[in-house]
Amino acid sequence: MKVSSKDVISVNNFSFSYPQTKKPAISSMNFTVKEGEFFCIVGANGAGKSTLCDSLVGLIPQYFLGTTKGQVLVNGQETTKQTVAELSLEIGLVFQNPFNQLSYTTSTVAEELAYGLGNHGIPRSEMLDRVAAVAKKMRIESLLDRDPLTLSGGQIQRVAFGSTYILNPSILVLDECTTQLDPIGSEEIFTIIKQLNDEGVTVVMTDTETERLSMYADRILLLDNGLQMGVDKPQAIFAREDLEKLNISTPLNYQLTQELTKIGILDSPEFNQDIILEKIKEVENGYR
Amino acid sequence: MVTVKIENLSYSYKDSATSVLHDISLSFSSGERVAIIGQNGTGKTTLTKHLNGILTPDTGRVLIDNVNVENKTTAEWASKVGYVFQNPNDQLFLDTVKKELVFGPSHLGIPKKEIQKRIRFVSELVGMQEELAEHPLNLTDSEKKFCAIGAVLAMDPNVVIMDEPTGGQDKSGKYRLAKILEYLKTQQKICIVVSHDMRFVTENFDRIVVMANGHILLDGAPKEVFSNPQVLKEAFVTPPPITDLAQKLGWETTILSISEFIEELKKRVQ
Repeated sequence: MKVSSKDVISVNNFSFSYPQTKKPAISSMNFTVKEGEFFCIVGANGAGKSTLCDSLVGLIPQYFLGTTKGQVLVNGQETTKQTVAELSLEIGLVFQNPFNQLSYTTSTVAEELAYGLGNHGIPRSEMLDRVAAVAKKMRIESLLDRDPLTLSGGQIQRVAFGSTYILNPSILVLDECTTQLDPIGSEEIFTIIKQLNDEGVTVVMTDTETERLSMYADRILLLDNGLQMGVDKPQAIFAREDLEKLNISTPLNYQLTQELTKIGILDSPEFNQDIILEKIKEVENGYR
Repeated sequence: MVTVKIENLSYSYKDSATSVLHDISLSFSSGERVAIIGQNGTGKTTLTKHLNGILTPDTGRVLIDNVNVENKTTAEWASKVGYVFQNPNDQLFLDTVKKELVFGPSHLGIPKKEIQKRIRFVSELVGMQEELAEHPLNLTDSEKKFCAIGAVLAMDPNVVIMDEPTGGQDKSGKYRLAKILEYLKTQQKICIVVSHDMRFVTENFDRIVVMANGHILLDGAPKEVFSNPQVLKEAFVTPPPITDLAQKLGWETTILSISEFIEELKKRVQ
Protein backbone atom coordinates (compact mmCIF):
# COMPACT_ATOMS: atom_id res chain seq x y z
CA MET A 1 0.00 0.00 0.00
CA LYS A 2 1.51 3.28 -1.14
CA VAL A 3 -0.36 5.53 1.29
CA SER A 4 -0.08 4.55 4.95
CA SER A 5 -2.59 5.37 7.63
CA LYS A 6 -0.08 7.53 9.51
CA ASP A 7 -0.72 11.29 9.50
CA VAL A 8 2.49 13.15 8.68
CA ILE A 9 0.79 16.54 8.59
CA SER A 10 -2.13 17.55 10.79
CA VAL A 11 -3.63 20.98 10.42
CA ASN A 12 -5.96 21.67 13.31
CA ASN A 13 -8.34 24.59 13.07
CA PHE A 14 -5.50 26.75 11.77
CA SER A 15 -5.96 30.40 10.79
CA PHE A 16 -3.45 33.06 9.85
CA SER A 17 -3.69 36.81 9.29
CA TYR A 18 -0.89 38.91 7.84
CA PRO A 19 0.02 42.01 9.87
CA GLN A 20 -2.23 45.05 9.37
CA THR A 21 -4.93 43.06 7.61
CA LYS A 22 -8.38 42.47 9.04
CA LYS A 23 -9.35 39.39 7.07
CA PRO A 24 -7.40 36.17 7.70
CA ALA A 25 -5.47 34.91 4.63
CA ILE A 26 -6.56 31.40 5.59
CA SER A 27 -9.11 30.44 8.23
CA SER A 28 -10.17 27.31 10.07
CA MET A 29 -8.06 24.90 8.02
CA ASN A 30 -8.71 21.32 9.10
CA PHE A 31 -7.11 18.40 7.30
CA THR A 32 -4.45 15.72 7.54
CA VAL A 33 -1.98 14.40 4.99
CA LYS A 34 -1.09 10.71 5.15
CA GLU A 35 2.38 9.31 4.76
CA GLY A 36 3.12 8.64 1.09
CA GLU A 37 0.13 10.60 -0.15
CA PHE A 38 0.07 12.80 -3.27
CA PHE A 39 -1.95 15.66 -1.84
CA CYS A 40 -2.88 18.64 -3.98
CA ILE A 41 -4.12 22.10 -3.07
CA VAL A 42 -6.20 23.76 -5.77
CA GLY A 43 -7.55 27.30 -5.74
CA ALA A 44 -7.59 30.54 -7.72
CA ASN A 45 -4.94 33.20 -7.24
CA GLY A 46 -5.34 34.75 -3.81
CA ALA A 47 -7.19 31.71 -2.41
CA GLY A 48 -4.45 31.14 0.19
CA LYS A 49 -2.42 28.33 -1.40
CA SER A 50 1.02 29.89 -0.79
CA THR A 51 0.06 31.02 2.70
CA LEU A 52 -0.95 27.45 3.50
CA CYS A 53 2.34 26.08 2.06
CA ASP A 54 4.37 28.58 4.09
CA SER A 55 2.42 27.49 7.18
CA LEU A 56 3.19 23.79 6.61
CA VAL A 57 6.96 24.37 6.61
CA GLY A 58 7.02 26.80 9.56
CA LEU A 59 7.88 29.96 7.56
CA ILE A 60 4.53 31.09 8.93
CA PRO A 61 4.60 32.23 11.70
CA GLN A 62 8.35 32.12 12.26
CA TYR A 63 9.52 34.14 9.26
CA PHE A 64 6.35 35.81 8.03
CA LEU A 65 4.94 37.31 11.19
CA GLY A 66 1.23 37.61 11.82
CA THR A 67 -1.57 36.28 13.97
CA THR A 68 -2.20 32.54 14.11
CA LYS A 69 -4.92 30.39 15.61
CA GLY A 70 -4.88 26.61 15.90
CA GLN A 71 -1.83 24.51 15.07
CA VAL A 72 0.13 22.73 12.36
CA LEU A 73 1.82 19.43 13.26
CA VAL A 74 4.54 17.85 11.13
CA ASN A 75 5.38 14.28 12.10
CA GLY A 76 3.46 14.84 15.32
CA GLN A 77 5.36 17.95 16.37
CA GLU A 78 4.11 21.51 16.30
CA THR A 79 5.95 23.58 13.66
CA THR A 80 6.48 26.40 16.14
CA LYS A 81 8.52 24.11 18.42
CA GLN A 82 11.33 23.71 15.84
CA THR A 83 13.33 26.16 13.76
CA VAL A 84 12.57 26.40 10.04
CA ALA A 85 16.09 25.02 9.38
CA GLU A 86 15.42 21.95 11.56
CA LEU A 87 12.05 21.45 9.89
CA SER A 88 13.65 21.64 6.41
CA LEU A 89 15.17 18.19 6.97
CA GLU A 90 11.65 16.74 7.39
CA ILE A 91 9.56 18.98 5.16
CA GLY A 92 11.03 20.91 2.22
CA LEU A 93 9.39 23.77 0.32
CA VAL A 94 9.94 24.60 -3.33
CA PHE A 95 8.94 28.24 -3.72
CA GLN A 96 6.52 29.55 -6.30
CA ASN A 97 8.97 32.24 -7.42
CA PRO A 98 12.41 30.60 -7.63
CA PHE A 99 14.03 34.04 -7.41
CA ASN A 100 12.72 34.22 -3.82
CA GLN A 101 14.39 30.94 -3.00
CA LEU A 102 17.96 31.51 -4.21
CA SER A 103 20.45 32.23 -1.44
CA TYR A 104 22.08 35.09 -3.42
CA THR A 105 25.36 34.18 -1.68
CA THR A 106 26.71 31.63 -4.14
CA SER A 107 28.44 32.07 -7.48
CA THR A 108 27.74 28.68 -9.05
CA VAL A 109 24.79 26.34 -9.35
CA ALA A 110 26.81 23.61 -7.59
CA GLU A 111 27.33 25.89 -4.58
CA GLU A 112 23.66 26.86 -4.63
CA LEU A 113 22.62 23.20 -4.52
CA ALA A 114 25.09 22.49 -1.69
CA TYR A 115 24.04 25.55 0.32
CA GLY A 116 21.55 23.74 2.58
CA LEU A 117 23.91 20.79 3.08
CA GLY A 118 26.63 23.18 4.26
CA ASN A 119 24.28 24.68 6.80
CA HIS A 120 23.51 21.21 8.16
CA GLY A 121 27.19 20.28 8.49
CA ILE A 122 27.28 17.53 5.84
CA PRO A 123 30.90 16.45 5.06
CA ARG A 124 32.37 17.75 1.79
CA SER A 125 32.77 14.40 0.04
CA GLU A 126 29.13 13.48 0.69
CA MET A 127 28.11 16.97 -0.43
CA LEU A 128 29.80 16.47 -3.80
CA ASP A 129 28.09 13.12 -4.31
CA ARG A 130 24.69 14.50 -3.43
CA VAL A 131 25.14 17.56 -5.68
CA ALA A 132 26.07 15.30 -8.59
CA ALA A 133 23.09 13.00 -7.98
CA VAL A 134 20.57 15.84 -7.69
CA ALA A 135 21.98 17.66 -10.74
CA LYS A 136 21.49 14.49 -12.75
CA LYS A 137 17.95 14.04 -11.51
CA MET A 138 17.03 17.66 -12.30
CA ARG A 139 18.85 17.57 -15.65
CA ILE A 140 21.08 20.52 -14.77
CA GLU A 141 24.49 18.78 -14.88
CA SER A 142 25.72 21.09 -17.63
CA LEU A 143 24.83 24.15 -15.57
CA LEU A 144 26.78 23.32 -12.39
CA ASP A 145 29.54 25.90 -13.02
CA ARG A 146 27.16 28.66 -14.13
CA ASP A 147 26.26 31.67 -12.00
CA PRO A 148 22.62 31.03 -10.92
CA LEU A 149 21.68 34.61 -11.80
CA THR A 150 22.59 34.07 -15.46
CA LEU A 151 20.17 31.16 -15.91
CA SER A 152 16.81 31.27 -17.64
CA GLY A 153 13.63 31.28 -15.53
CA GLY A 154 12.95 27.59 -16.12
CA GLN A 155 16.53 26.60 -15.35
CA ILE A 156 16.40 28.50 -12.05
CA GLN A 157 13.20 26.66 -11.18
CA ARG A 158 15.04 23.34 -11.54
CA VAL A 159 17.92 24.60 -9.39
CA ALA A 160 15.44 25.74 -6.74
CA PHE A 161 13.74 22.33 -6.72
CA GLY A 162 17.14 20.60 -6.53
CA SER A 163 18.31 22.72 -3.62
CA THR A 164 15.24 21.68 -1.59
CA TYR A 165 15.27 18.04 -2.61
CA ILE A 166 18.99 17.63 -1.84
CA LEU A 167 18.20 17.63 1.91
CA ASN A 168 16.14 14.44 1.41
CA PRO A 169 13.04 15.62 3.26
CA SER A 170 10.36 12.94 3.71
CA ILE A 171 7.68 15.51 2.81
CA LEU A 172 7.96 17.84 -0.18
CA VAL A 173 5.77 20.93 -0.47
CA LEU A 174 5.72 22.29 -4.02
CA ASP A 175 4.14 25.69 -4.55
CA GLU A 176 3.32 26.06 -8.27
CA CYS A 177 6.78 24.79 -9.07
CA THR A 178 6.36 24.33 -12.82
CA THR A 179 4.92 27.70 -13.85
CA GLN A 180 8.05 28.76 -15.76
CA LEU A 181 8.92 25.40 -17.30
CA ASP A 182 8.51 24.37 -20.92
CA PRO A 183 5.88 21.63 -21.40
CA ILE A 184 8.32 18.72 -21.54
CA GLY A 185 10.37 20.21 -18.68
CA SER A 186 7.21 20.48 -16.64
CA GLU A 187 6.29 16.89 -17.53
CA GLU A 188 9.78 15.82 -16.43
CA ILE A 189 9.43 17.59 -13.09
CA PHE A 190 6.06 15.88 -12.60
CA THR A 191 7.69 12.56 -13.44
CA ILE A 192 10.42 13.21 -10.87
CA ILE A 193 7.83 14.18 -8.27
CA LYS A 194 5.77 11.09 -9.08
CA GLN A 195 8.89 8.91 -8.83
CA LEU A 196 9.80 10.44 -5.44
CA ASN A 197 6.22 9.84 -4.34
CA ASP A 198 6.40 6.20 -5.47
CA GLU A 199 9.59 5.89 -3.42
CA GLY A 200 7.60 6.97 -0.37
CA VAL A 201 8.03 10.76 -0.24
CA THR A 202 4.83 12.53 0.79
CA VAL A 203 3.96 15.24 -1.73
CA VAL A 204 1.90 18.36 -1.12
CA MET A 205 1.48 20.34 -4.30
CA THR A 206 -0.36 23.48 -5.36
CA ASP A 207 -1.21 24.70 -8.81
CA THR A 208 -3.73 26.80 -10.67
CA GLU A 209 -3.30 24.39 -13.57
CA THR A 210 -5.35 21.28 -12.89
CA GLU A 211 -4.41 19.32 -16.01
CA ARG A 212 -1.67 17.15 -14.48
CA LEU A 213 -2.62 17.48 -10.82
CA SER A 214 -5.86 15.68 -11.55
CA MET A 215 -3.96 12.68 -12.93
CA TYR A 216 -1.63 12.29 -9.97
CA ALA A 217 -3.54 13.51 -6.92
CA ASP A 218 -4.77 11.00 -4.34
CA ARG A 219 -6.80 13.78 -2.79
CA ILE A 220 -7.39 17.46 -3.50
CA LEU A 221 -7.98 20.26 -1.02
CA LEU A 222 -10.12 22.95 -2.63
CA LEU A 223 -9.46 26.48 -1.38
CA ASP A 224 -11.41 29.64 -2.03
CA ASN A 225 -10.83 33.04 -0.56
CA GLY A 226 -8.97 31.63 2.46
CA LEU A 227 -11.60 28.99 3.18
CA GLN A 228 -11.45 25.23 2.91
CA MET A 229 -14.20 24.25 0.46
CA GLY A 230 -13.57 20.52 0.68
CA VAL A 231 -11.03 17.71 0.67
CA ASP A 232 -11.81 14.80 -1.59
CA LYS A 233 -10.71 12.51 -4.42
CA PRO A 234 -10.21 14.28 -7.80
CA GLN A 235 -13.36 12.66 -9.23
CA ALA A 236 -15.48 14.23 -6.50
CA ILE A 237 -13.74 17.62 -6.65
CA PHE A 238 -14.06 18.03 -10.42
CA ALA A 239 -17.67 16.88 -10.40
CA ARG A 240 -18.57 19.87 -8.21
CA GLU A 241 -20.90 22.37 -9.78
CA ASP A 242 -19.35 25.40 -8.10
CA LEU A 243 -15.93 25.13 -9.82
CA GLU A 244 -16.81 27.76 -12.42
CA LYS A 245 -17.77 30.14 -9.62
CA LEU A 246 -14.57 29.30 -7.71
CA ASN A 247 -12.53 30.19 -10.81
CA ILE A 248 -11.03 26.71 -11.17
CA SER A 249 -10.38 25.37 -14.65
CA THR A 250 -11.46 21.79 -15.25
CA PRO A 251 -8.83 19.56 -16.90
CA LEU A 252 -9.31 19.41 -20.65
CA ASN A 253 -9.36 15.60 -20.84
CA TYR A 254 -11.90 15.50 -18.05
CA GLN A 255 -14.11 18.06 -19.84
CA LEU A 256 -13.86 15.97 -22.97
CA THR A 257 -14.87 12.79 -21.19
CA GLN A 258 -17.74 14.65 -19.50
CA GLU A 259 -18.99 15.54 -22.99
CA LEU A 260 -18.48 11.97 -24.18
CA THR A 261 -20.43 10.72 -21.18
CA LYS A 262 -23.31 13.07 -22.04
CA ILE A 263 -23.61 11.67 -25.55
CA GLY A 264 -23.35 8.11 -24.28
CA ILE A 265 -19.91 7.21 -25.63
CA LEU A 266 -18.41 6.76 -22.15
CA ASP A 267 -19.98 5.59 -18.90
CA SER A 268 -18.27 8.12 -16.64
CA PRO A 269 -15.79 11.02 -16.81
CA GLU A 270 -12.14 10.07 -16.47
CA PHE A 271 -8.72 11.73 -15.81
CA ASN A 272 -6.28 9.05 -16.78
CA GLN A 273 -5.21 9.47 -20.38
CA ASP A 274 -4.42 5.78 -20.85
CA ILE A 275 -7.92 4.78 -19.76
CA ILE A 276 -9.50 7.49 -21.95
CA LEU A 277 -7.49 6.25 -24.95
CA GLU A 278 -8.48 2.68 -24.32
CA LYS A 279 -12.18 3.51 -24.00
CA ILE A 280 -12.28 5.63 -27.14
CA LYS A 281 -10.43 2.94 -29.09
CA GLU A 282 -13.02 0.41 -27.94
CA VAL A 283 -15.80 2.68 -29.17
CA GLU A 284 -14.04 3.24 -32.52
CA ASN A 285 -13.37 -0.48 -33.00
CA GLY A 286 -16.92 -1.33 -32.07
CA TYR A 287 -18.13 0.64 -35.06
CA ARG A 288 -15.66 -0.72 -37.56
CA MET B 1 0.18 50.23 -39.25
CA VAL B 2 3.43 48.85 -37.99
CA THR B 3 5.99 46.31 -39.16
CA VAL B 4 8.73 44.41 -37.38
CA LYS B 5 11.50 42.74 -39.36
CA ILE B 6 14.25 40.61 -37.90
CA GLU B 7 16.99 39.94 -40.46
CA ASN B 8 19.66 37.26 -40.00
CA LEU B 9 20.02 38.01 -36.31
CA SER B 10 22.75 36.21 -34.34
CA TYR B 11 23.68 36.86 -30.75
CA SER B 12 25.87 35.48 -27.99
CA TYR B 13 26.17 36.71 -24.42
CA LYS B 14 29.50 38.22 -23.37
CA ASP B 15 31.83 35.67 -21.67
CA SER B 16 29.97 32.85 -23.37
CA ALA B 17 31.58 30.80 -26.12
CA THR B 18 28.33 29.47 -27.55
CA SER B 19 25.88 31.68 -29.36
CA VAL B 20 22.29 31.92 -28.15
CA LEU B 21 20.60 32.94 -31.38
CA HIS B 22 21.65 31.77 -34.84
CA ASP B 23 20.67 33.59 -37.99
CA ILE B 24 17.06 34.35 -37.07
CA SER B 25 14.81 35.97 -39.65
CA LEU B 26 11.16 36.77 -38.92
CA SER B 27 8.70 39.47 -39.81
CA PHE B 28 5.48 40.54 -38.18
CA SER B 29 2.74 42.86 -39.39
CA SER B 30 -0.12 44.88 -37.89
CA GLY B 31 -2.82 42.96 -36.05
CA GLU B 32 -0.75 39.81 -35.70
CA ARG B 33 -0.79 37.88 -32.43
CA VAL B 34 2.29 35.70 -32.31
CA ALA B 35 3.26 33.22 -29.60
CA ILE B 36 6.88 32.18 -29.21
CA ILE B 37 7.21 28.75 -27.62
CA GLY B 38 10.11 26.38 -26.96
CA GLN B 39 12.48 24.90 -24.41
CA ASN B 40 13.74 26.84 -21.39
CA GLY B 41 17.02 28.56 -22.17
CA THR B 42 16.53 28.35 -25.92
CA GLY B 43 16.69 32.10 -26.49
CA LYS B 44 13.03 33.21 -26.51
CA THR B 45 13.58 36.04 -24.03
CA THR B 46 16.93 36.91 -25.63
CA LEU B 47 15.21 37.25 -29.00
CA THR B 48 12.42 39.50 -27.77
CA LYS B 49 14.91 41.74 -25.95
CA HIS B 50 16.31 42.68 -29.36
CA LEU B 51 13.04 44.23 -30.45
CA ASN B 52 13.45 47.39 -28.38
CA GLY B 53 17.23 47.53 -28.14
CA ILE B 54 17.72 46.05 -24.65
CA LEU B 55 20.13 43.79 -26.54
CA THR B 56 21.81 44.54 -29.87
CA PRO B 57 22.62 41.78 -32.36
CA ASP B 58 26.18 40.61 -33.01
CA THR B 59 25.26 40.33 -36.66
CA GLY B 60 22.04 41.03 -38.53
CA ARG B 61 19.51 43.72 -37.67
CA VAL B 62 16.02 44.47 -36.41
CA LEU B 63 13.83 47.01 -38.18
CA ILE B 64 10.72 48.60 -36.70
CA ASP B 65 8.80 50.44 -39.44
CA ASN B 66 11.98 50.16 -41.48
CA VAL B 67 14.09 51.97 -38.86
CA ASN B 68 17.02 50.05 -37.43
CA VAL B 69 16.43 49.51 -33.70
CA GLU B 70 20.08 50.38 -33.02
CA ASN B 71 19.49 53.94 -34.26
CA LYS B 72 17.53 54.86 -31.13
CA THR B 73 17.82 54.16 -27.39
CA THR B 74 15.54 51.68 -25.59
CA ALA B 75 13.89 54.66 -23.85
CA GLU B 76 13.17 56.26 -27.22
CA TRP B 77 11.64 53.04 -28.48
CA ALA B 78 9.43 52.68 -25.39
CA SER B 79 6.55 54.63 -26.94
CA LYS B 80 6.55 52.31 -29.94
CA VAL B 81 7.64 48.95 -28.53
CA GLY B 82 6.29 48.00 -25.11
CA TYR B 83 8.08 45.27 -23.21
CA VAL B 84 6.57 43.38 -20.26
CA PHE B 85 9.27 41.50 -18.35
CA GLN B 86 8.98 37.89 -17.25
CA ASN B 87 9.57 38.87 -13.64
CA PRO B 88 7.41 41.93 -12.79
CA ASN B 89 9.80 42.72 -9.93
CA ASP B 90 12.32 43.70 -12.63
CA GLN B 91 9.93 46.29 -13.92
CA LEU B 92 7.90 47.83 -11.08
CA PHE B 93 9.65 50.45 -8.95
CA LEU B 94 7.19 53.11 -7.81
CA ASP B 95 5.07 53.17 -4.66
CA THR B 96 1.57 52.99 -6.14
CA VAL B 97 -0.01 51.16 -9.04
CA LYS B 98 -1.30 54.48 -10.38
CA LYS B 99 2.21 55.97 -10.46
CA GLU B 100 3.41 52.91 -12.39
CA LEU B 101 0.69 53.48 -14.98
CA VAL B 102 1.30 57.24 -15.20
CA PHE B 103 5.11 56.98 -15.41
CA GLY B 104 5.41 55.98 -19.07
CA PRO B 105 2.94 58.38 -20.69
CA SER B 106 4.05 61.32 -18.51
CA HIS B 107 7.61 60.86 -19.81
CA LEU B 108 6.32 60.90 -23.36
CA GLY B 109 4.99 64.43 -22.84
CA ILE B 110 1.37 63.41 -23.14
CA PRO B 111 -1.14 65.97 -21.78
CA LYS B 112 -2.49 65.29 -18.28
CA LYS B 113 -6.10 64.92 -19.42
CA GLU B 114 -5.15 62.31 -22.00
CA ILE B 115 -3.05 60.46 -19.40
CA GLN B 116 -6.03 60.35 -17.03
CA LYS B 117 -8.21 59.01 -19.81
CA ARG B 118 -5.68 56.33 -20.65
CA ILE B 119 -5.21 55.30 -17.01
CA ARG B 120 -8.95 54.88 -16.60
CA PHE B 121 -9.15 52.73 -19.71
CA VAL B 122 -5.99 50.68 -19.11
CA SER B 123 -6.66 50.04 -15.43
CA GLU B 124 -10.03 48.63 -16.37
CA LEU B 125 -8.58 46.54 -19.21
CA VAL B 126 -5.99 44.94 -16.91
CA GLY B 127 -8.40 44.73 -13.94
CA MET B 128 -6.52 47.12 -11.66
CA GLN B 129 -9.18 49.81 -11.05
CA GLU B 130 -9.55 48.84 -7.38
CA GLU B 131 -5.79 48.64 -6.80
CA LEU B 132 -4.66 52.04 -8.11
CA ALA B 133 -3.67 53.32 -4.66
CA GLU B 134 -2.02 50.04 -3.66
CA HIS B 135 1.76 49.61 -3.32
CA PRO B 136 2.90 47.22 -6.08
CA LEU B 137 4.76 45.15 -3.48
CA ASN B 138 1.44 44.40 -1.77
CA LEU B 139 0.05 42.82 -4.93
CA THR B 140 0.02 39.08 -5.61
CA ASP B 141 2.41 37.81 -8.31
CA SER B 142 -0.49 37.63 -10.74
CA GLU B 143 -1.63 41.20 -10.00
CA LYS B 144 1.95 42.44 -10.34
CA LYS B 145 1.99 41.03 -13.86
CA PHE B 146 -1.21 42.87 -14.76
CA CYS B 147 0.20 46.06 -13.24
CA ALA B 148 3.34 45.66 -15.39
CA ILE B 149 1.19 45.03 -18.49
CA GLY B 150 -0.89 48.12 -17.66
CA ALA B 151 2.22 50.27 -17.29
CA VAL B 152 3.29 49.26 -20.79
CA LEU B 153 -0.16 49.60 -22.39
CA ALA B 154 -0.54 53.09 -20.90
CA MET B 155 2.09 54.23 -23.42
CA ASP B 156 -0.09 52.87 -26.24
CA PRO B 157 2.80 51.20 -28.09
CA ASN B 158 2.22 49.68 -31.54
CA VAL B 159 4.24 46.60 -30.68
CA VAL B 160 3.56 44.83 -27.36
CA ILE B 161 5.90 42.11 -26.12
CA MET B 162 5.01 40.02 -23.09
CA ASP B 163 7.44 37.51 -21.65
CA GLU B 164 5.55 34.65 -19.93
CA PRO B 165 2.40 36.51 -18.90
CA THR B 166 0.53 33.20 -18.45
CA GLY B 167 2.86 31.73 -15.79
CA GLY B 168 1.00 31.40 -12.49
CA GLN B 169 -2.26 32.85 -13.84
CA ASP B 170 -5.51 31.21 -12.81
CA LYS B 171 -8.58 30.83 -14.98
CA SER B 172 -9.75 34.42 -14.57
CA GLY B 173 -6.20 35.75 -15.07
CA LYS B 174 -5.93 33.91 -18.36
CA TYR B 175 -9.37 35.11 -19.40
CA ARG B 176 -8.30 38.69 -18.69
CA LEU B 177 -5.11 38.15 -20.73
CA ALA B 178 -7.16 36.79 -23.61
CA LYS B 179 -9.34 39.93 -23.48
CA ILE B 180 -6.22 42.14 -23.59
CA LEU B 181 -4.91 40.24 -26.61
CA GLU B 182 -8.26 40.60 -28.34
CA TYR B 183 -8.24 44.33 -27.70
CA LEU B 184 -4.71 44.69 -29.07
CA LYS B 185 -5.78 42.92 -32.23
CA THR B 186 -8.69 45.28 -32.76
CA GLN B 187 -6.19 48.14 -32.44
CA GLN B 188 -4.03 46.53 -35.16
CA LYS B 189 -1.09 46.20 -32.76
CA ILE B 190 1.57 43.55 -33.13
CA CYS B 191 1.54 41.38 -30.05
CA ILE B 192 4.40 38.98 -29.36
CA VAL B 193 4.04 36.69 -26.36
CA VAL B 194 6.45 34.12 -24.94
CA SER B 195 4.51 31.33 -23.23
CA HIS B 196 4.66 27.72 -22.10
CA ASP B 197 0.90 27.34 -21.82
CA MET B 198 -0.06 25.38 -24.94
CA ARG B 199 -3.77 25.45 -24.22
CA PHE B 200 -3.69 29.25 -23.93
CA VAL B 201 -1.50 29.62 -26.99
CA THR B 202 -3.80 27.46 -29.11
CA GLU B 203 -6.89 29.33 -28.04
CA ASN B 204 -5.54 32.86 -28.46
CA PHE B 205 -2.94 33.09 -31.22
CA ASP B 206 -3.03 33.13 -35.01
CA ARG B 207 0.62 32.29 -35.38
CA ILE B 208 3.11 30.25 -33.37
CA VAL B 209 6.89 30.43 -33.67
CA VAL B 210 8.68 27.39 -32.20
CA MET B 211 12.29 27.86 -31.12
CA ALA B 212 14.91 25.24 -30.34
CA ASN B 213 18.59 25.81 -29.62
CA GLY B 214 18.51 29.38 -30.89
CA HIS B 215 16.88 28.47 -34.21
CA ILE B 216 13.37 28.82 -35.55
CA LEU B 217 12.07 25.27 -35.82
CA LEU B 218 8.49 25.92 -36.96
CA ASP B 219 6.44 29.00 -37.79
CA GLY B 220 2.77 28.83 -38.68
CA ALA B 221 -0.85 28.62 -37.58
CA PRO B 222 -1.57 26.48 -34.47
CA LYS B 223 -2.99 23.66 -36.62
CA GLU B 224 0.17 23.41 -38.72
CA VAL B 225 2.55 23.75 -35.81
CA PHE B 226 0.85 21.16 -33.58
CA SER B 227 0.40 18.69 -36.41
CA ASN B 228 4.00 17.59 -35.99
CA PRO B 229 4.62 16.29 -32.45
CA GLN B 230 7.95 14.69 -33.39
CA VAL B 231 9.46 18.02 -34.47
CA LEU B 232 7.92 19.73 -31.44
CA LYS B 233 9.70 17.33 -29.13
CA GLU B 234 13.00 18.82 -30.28
CA ALA B 235 11.79 22.11 -28.78
CA PHE B 236 10.59 20.41 -25.57
CA VAL B 237 7.04 21.27 -26.46
CA THR B 238 4.03 19.01 -26.36
CA PRO B 239 0.74 19.82 -28.11
CA PRO B 240 -2.24 20.76 -25.90
CA PRO B 241 -3.72 17.71 -24.07
CA ILE B 242 -6.69 17.39 -26.44
CA THR B 243 -4.42 17.48 -29.54
CA ASP B 244 -2.09 14.97 -27.92
CA LEU B 245 -5.01 12.63 -27.21
CA ALA B 246 -6.18 12.68 -30.83
CA GLN B 247 -2.63 12.08 -32.06
CA LYS B 248 -2.25 9.11 -29.72
CA LEU B 249 -5.44 7.69 -31.20
CA GLY B 250 -3.72 7.88 -34.57
CA TRP B 251 -6.14 10.42 -36.02
CA GLU B 252 -4.72 12.32 -38.97
CA THR B 253 -6.70 15.53 -38.48
CA THR B 254 -5.10 17.91 -35.98
CA ILE B 255 -7.63 18.54 -33.23
CA LEU B 256 -7.41 21.77 -31.21
CA SER B 257 -10.61 21.84 -29.18
CA ILE B 258 -13.15 19.61 -27.45
CA SER B 259 -15.84 20.39 -30.02
CA GLU B 260 -13.47 19.46 -32.88
CA PHE B 261 -12.66 16.23 -31.04
CA ILE B 262 -16.28 15.24 -30.59
CA GLU B 263 -17.13 16.11 -34.18
CA GLU B 264 -14.27 13.96 -35.45
CA LEU B 265 -15.20 11.07 -33.17
CA LYS B 266 -18.82 11.21 -34.33
CA LYS B 267 -17.60 11.08 -37.94
CA ARG B 268 -15.45 8.07 -37.20
CA VAL B 269 -18.16 6.03 -35.45
CA GLN B 270 -20.97 6.78 -37.88
